[in-house]
Amino acid sequence: MNAPETMKQFRPKEFRHVGTRPVRPDGVDKVTGRALYGPDFKAPGMLWGAIVRSPHPHARIVSIDTKKAESLPGVKAVATGKDFPTLQSLVMHVGEGASDIVHVARNCLALDKVLYEGHAVAAVAATTPEIAREAAGLIAVEYEELPFVLGLEEALAEGAPLLHDDVFTKGVDPKPDKPSNASMRVEMGGGDVEGALAGAAVTVTGRYTMEPVHQGYIEPHACVASWGGDGQAQIWCSSQGHFAVRSLTASVLALPQADIRVMPLEIGGGFGGKTTIYLEPVAMILSKKSGRPVRLAMTREEVFRATGPAPGAVIDVRIGADADGTLVAADVEFKYHSGAYPAVDAGAGVASAIGHYKIANTRVVGTEVLCNRPAAKAYRAPGAPQVNFAVESAVDELAGKLGIDPLELRLKNAAVEGDPQTSGVPWGRIGWVECLEAAKAHPHWSAPLGPNQGRGLAGGYWGNYGGPSTVVVSLTEDGTFTVTTGSPDIGGSRAAMAIMAAETLGVPYEQVRCVIADTSSIGFSMVTGGSRTTFATGKAVVEAAREVKQVLCSRAAKMWNVAEDAVEWQDGEMVCTAGEKEGTRITVAQIAPRVAFMSGPVSCVAGINAAGWLPGFGLHICDTEVDTETGHVKIVRYTAIQDVGTAIHPDYVEGQIQGGAVQGIGWALNETYIYGENGKLDNPGFLDYRMPVASDLPMIDAVVVEVPNPDHPYGVKGVGEVPIVPPLAAVANAIHAATGKRLNSLPMSPDRVYAALHPEG
Amino acid sequence: MPPFDKEFFATDRLDLAPHNLFDLVDRLDGLAPGFAAIAQPRVHFAVDGVLEADWSRDLATASEVIVLPRVGGG
Amino acid sequence: MSKIHVSTTLNGDAAEFLCDPSASLLDALRDELGLTGSKEGCGSGDCGACTVVLDGEMVCSCLVFAAEAEGGTIQTIEGVAESAVLHPVQQKFLEHGALQCGFCTPGFIVAAKALLDRNPDPTETEVRYWLAGNLCRCTGYDKIVRAVMDAAAELRQDRPSERTPA
Ligand code: FES
Ligand code: FES
Repeated sequence: MNAPETMKQFRPKEFRHVGTRPVRPDGVDKVTGRALYGPDFKAPGMLWGAIVRSPHPHARIVSIDTKKAESLPGVKAVATGKDFPTLQSLVMHVGEGASDIVHVARNCLALDKVLYEGHAVAAVAATTPEIAREAAGLIAVEYEELPFVLGLEEALAEGAPLLHDDVFTKGVDPKPDKPSNASMRVEMGGGDVEGALAGAAVTVTGRYTMEPVHQGYIEPHACVASWGGDGQAQIWCSSQGHFAVRSLTASVLALPQADIRVMPLEIGGGFGGKTTIYLEPVAMILSKKSGRPVRLAMTREEVFRATGPAPGAVIDVRIGADADGTLVAADVEFKYHSGAYPAVDAGAGVASAIGHYKIANTRVVGTEVLCNRPAAKAYRAPGAPQVNFAVESAVDELAGKLGIDPLELRLKNAAVEGDPQTSGVPWGRIGWVECLEAAKAHPHWSAPLGPNQGRGLAGGYWGNYGGPSTVVVSLTEDGTFTVTTGSPDIGGSRAAMAIMAAETLGVPYEQVRCVIADTSSIGFSMVTGGSRTTFATGKAVVEAAREVKQVLCSRAAKMWNVAEDAVEWQDGEMVCTAGEKEGTRITVAQIAPRVAFMSGPVSCVAGINAAGWLPGFGLHICDTEVDTETGHVKIVRYTAIQDVGTAIHPDYVEGQIQGGAVQGIGWALNETYIYGENGKLDNPGFLDYRMPVASDLPMIDAVVVEVPNPDHPYGVKGVGEVPIVPPLAAVANAIHAATGKRLNSLPMSPDRVYAALHPEG
Repeated sequence: MPPFDKEFFATDRLDLAPHNLFDLVDRLDGLAPGFAAIAQPRVHFAVDGVLEADWSRDLATASEVIVLPRVGGG
Repeated sequence: MSKIHVSTTLNGDAAEFLCDPSASLLDALRDELGLTGSKEGCGSGDCGACTVVLDGEMVCSCLVFAAEAEGGTIQTIEGVAESAVLHPVQQKFLEHGALQCGFCTPGFIVAAKALLDRNPDPTETEVRYWLAGNLCRCTGYDKIVRAVMDAAAELRQDRPSERTPA
C-alpha cells in the first residue's frame, strides 16, 4: 500500500498470487471477536488456578506451608516446586535458543531459592478464580532473604551475590574453577584492532547503556491443561510454537512427548516472548492432583514481573576510519542481562554487531550476566537492537567528525555478497546496498526540515532462519485444497501459506484454506520465530503442493492410460500433452471425486529441514522534533526500508516492518524496566511501562525492497525481526541532528533529553 | 569457532577429515568430551561458507567447516 | 458469597447474569455470558482491549463493575456486525490488513465505530487521539488509522459496499 513503486523496481518476475493482498483466511473471525485466544478457552469442569510469587529479589525458601490453603472449601490442589520430578541437567534448543530444562522447571516453580521478585513459588487450583486467589494468599512461605544484584557491572564485581553455584563461565580458557554470574562469553573478530585504531585518522569512543524492556504482547499468558488418569494429557494454549510447549513440558515432567497433545489457540502477540513455557507444567501438575482440567492465566502485572524481558546492556564501542571514510577498525564489547538463568542473546549480539560493514580489524565480545531479574527471553531480533544502537550511533558520530554524509559513509563501507561476516562466513545474496540506494532515492531523505527538527538514519540486519517444518497439502473431495501446518500464525502467515500453495497449484486463492494443526495431528515444526515461518514452512508448503500436482498428474495418466510424462499440470488442470490423447484435460474439481476410486485420497506431506535462508537488512530514516522546553521528542516522519527477498502478502510484510519500527521507537523513547532500591519492579503495568500509542506516531512508510532469495521457490528471506534493529539509533541520531546532543542511554525520555539540553540544570 | 574454541578445544583450528557433520561431532567429542551433548542445541555449522542444516551431507569435497553459535530468534 | 443478579440489554437482546460483587463487566461478559470477543490485556484501563459501549458511552469494561450494568444497554464486538454483514470498520480492517495477531482488534473496532458514530469525518489526528487509549503492539497503528479513515469515507458516501458476510 505504501510503496508499490519500489516493489516493482526490484520484482524479478510476475506471479499470479505472490505479491497480492487478499483477505486473510482467519480475518473474519478476528474482526468479529469469534477467534479463540489463549485466555478465551474453557474446558467443562475446569478449575481456576492462581500462582504465589516471591516478594523478594533473592531469597532461600525455608518452608512453604500450604495447609490453610488446602483446607479452604473449593480448593482442589496445591503445587510447589517439589512436585516436579527430579531432573538431570539437559540443554535443549526450542527455537529461541538453548535452555537447560532444570532452569526451565525452576523458573515455572522455584525450588530452594527464588531468584527475582515475581518468581513463582506455589500454585493452587480451585472451583472459582476468587477462591483460587484467596487460597494463594493463605500459602505461607518463609524466606531467608539474600543479598541481591541487579546491575551488570555490579553482578560481575568481585564478591557480588552469586545466583547459581553451578554456573561457570562458558567460552573462556582455561575453564574457570569458580562459579560466576557471567554465564557465557563470546568473542569473534580478527586482525590488529589496536594497531588499526592507533593509525586511524578519526576515532570515536562511546559507552551506551539501557535497562531491560518487555516484548509487550497484549495477550497475557494463559493455558488450560487436562492430565488424564491414563497419563495422557491435553494442553490448550497460545504460543509461538506448540511443539516447543510439548517438548519442554514433557521434559520437565519426564513424560513421553506422544502423551501430550498441545492445541494451538490463536496467539495475541509474542515477539519471541512466547517461545518458552511458564504455566503449562504447573497447570499439568494441578490437573493431575485434582483430576480436573485446570486453567492458569497471568495478570498484566505477572507478565511484567515474571516473563522474559529483553536484556538491558552496557556496550563499549571504539571505531576508527581513514580520512576518506574507510572504516579500519571496530572494537565492541557488551554485557547483556540474562536475568535469573543463563540466556543466549550474546551470540546473536556478536553476530549482529558490525557485520554490515567491511572492516578489516574487528573484535566483538559479548558477555551474558546473571542477575536478580526475570529470566531474559527472546525479543524480536534477540540481542541485535542493543548492540546496533551503540554501533550505529558511533558510526553516525564518526560521519560527523569526518564531515561525510552518514548515508554515503554507510554506502562506502557496506558489506556485499561474498564479504566475510564477523564469524568469517561470507554473506550470501544480501540486499543491504539496495536498501541504502533506496534510501538515497526516497523523497524523505532530501525533504526539508522544520525548526527544532532533525533527521537521523541507521541500518541493521538479522540473520533469519530456516529449520524443520511439516506441512500437509490435501485435496478435498470437491477439488479445493487444505494446507495444514504446525506453525502458529502470529501475523497473517496463514494467508502467506495459502498464497504460496495457490501459486504453486495454479488455483484461485480462495480454493486453498490453511489451518494450524495440534501436535498430534501433524509432524514436528519449529517455533514461529527467527523470521523463519514464511521461509521454512513456506518451502514445505511448496514442496507438498508440488507433490500433489505430481500425484494428480500420474493419476490422470493412469486414468487416460498414457505415459506419466505425457501429462502436465497447467493452472489447476491436468493436460495430456503427447500421444493420441493429446489435448485431453481434466480439472482438479473433476478428478477430485474420482481419486477415491483410484489408489486412494491425495494428501502429501513435506517434512523438511529448510536450508538456504538469507539475512534481512533494513535502513530507517527518522525525523524528530524536539521540544526544548520539555525535552519531549516527537517523531514527525519515519521511513523504514527493508530487503525482504519477496513479499508474499505485502500488507503483512509492511505491517511487520511498521510494527517492528514502532516497537523500536518505543524502546528508544519511553520503554524501560524501572527497579527500586529494594530490587522490586516499580512499573509493572501499561500506565508506567509506556508503549507507543497511535497519537505518538506518524504514518510509518514501509518501503519493501525485493532482492529475491535464490534458495526459496518464491524468493522469501524473512521479515519480522529486522525492523526492530535500526530504530534505536535512527531516533538517537535524529535527536542529535535536531539538538547537537548525543544521548547514549535509553530510553531518551523527556527528562533525559531535557537534562542534555540544559546541563546547567 | 567462538565460544566453543575456548570452552572445549583450547584452539580455534583443527585438522580433521570427517565424512559428515555427525562424524565431525563425534570426533570433536572425542577431543573434548561433552561437545556432542551441546552440539545440537547450541551449534551451527557452515560448510565452505554456507550454513549447513543437514548433518548427514557428505563432506568428502568440503575443505572448511566453521563452528558457530546457533542463533534462534524471536 | 452471595451473587448479584443483573439484567441488561446485550447487543440488542435481553441478557441476565449472576456476578460476584467484585466482578468487572469484562469478567461477566467473558465468564458468565461466554462472550470472549472483548479481551483483557491489562485489567487496569490502560490497553483498551476490553472496550465496549455501555449506554452509548465507550468504556473499558475492565473498569466497570458488572453490577453497574444493571438495566443498561451494552454493545460488544460481537454486536458490531449487523444483519450478518460486517460493519464497514470491520471490512476495512480486513482490506487494509490492519490486524496482525488480532488480539487488540475487537477493542479497536468498537472504539473506531464509536468515533465514527459521532464524528463521520475525523482527521487523521482526531483518529489517532481517539484511539490513543487502545494499545496495539503489532501494527504500529499505520494500517489501523488508514482502515478507520477509509471506513469513515465509505460510511459518508453510504456506498452499497461489497461487504463480507460475518
Ligand atoms: S483490559 Fe481493560 S483496558 Fe486493558
Ligand atoms: S494486532 Fe496484535 S496487538 Fe494489535
